Amino acid sequence: MIMMLPFLTALVAIVLTMRGARIPSIIGWGVTFIIFVVWLQYHMTDKLNLSL
Amino acid sequence: MDYSSRTQSATGQGVSFWLNAMALAGVCVSLLMAFYWQIVFNELPCPLCQLQRVALTLAGIGMMLNVRFGPSAVHYAIIMASALGGATASARQVLLHIAPGDTGYGSTLFGLHFYTWGFISFVMMLVFCTVMLCIDRNQLSTPRVQLSNRSQANTRIAFLLMGLFLLITIANLVSALMVCQFGSCPDNPTEYLWKFGF
Repeated sequence: MIMMLPFLTALVAIVLTMRGARIPSIIGWGVTFIIFVVWLQYHMTDKLNLSL
Repeated sequence: MDYSSRTQSATGQGVSFWLNAMALAGVCVSLLMAFYWQIVFNELPCPLCQLQRVALTLAGIGMMLNVRFGPSAVHYAIIMASALGGATASARQVLLHIAPGDTGYGSTLFGLHFYTWGFISFVMMLVFCTVMLCIDRNQLSTPRVQLSNRSQANTRIAFLLMGLFLLITIANLVSALMVCQFGSCPDNPTEYLWKFGF
């Protein structure tokens, strides 16, 4: 799970918004959101270091 | 002037612009505070903390779209989806540290951990969208207002905010590289894996 990847795709979406490309920016947001959900599922379900 | 045209006036779009700009400024302040604690107190972000930063950035993109192109239902949907994702990540972290005797992860601000503040922030974003969808109800399907059509002062403030948001995202990208490199992030990071000669 490369943590810098969602920041990289978000950065692309931000640059596209600043340049006035609305639809490509929304697509960039969508790609980032998918990566976020996959990364979140991984980190929410990995083994926990708990001793209860 | 009938009800519809009154609510579609330039004043209404001005209110929407300023409220979205203020929300984007709030996102920037939240991310800057996280950076302050990371740099000054050497509190490195855990994987779930990083994902909450991603969710804040995603919500910020929705606000930025509203500032740049005018209000739209799609832009508010973007903010709401991002806030729901962020609230899930922060609620998960709150529940991780709910056991008796657990002191939580990282330091506190006004008695609450940062992930608890994160959860409150994401819920506030949902409230923000609820209110804004009422305020902008008659502007959501009108043609987009380009930033170039706004006053010079508004354009300057918008680009200043968007520039700050861009810089913070670049800083987060570098931070994520330094903490996790290209592999999986450590659960409890204590030092940077990539120090760039520091």
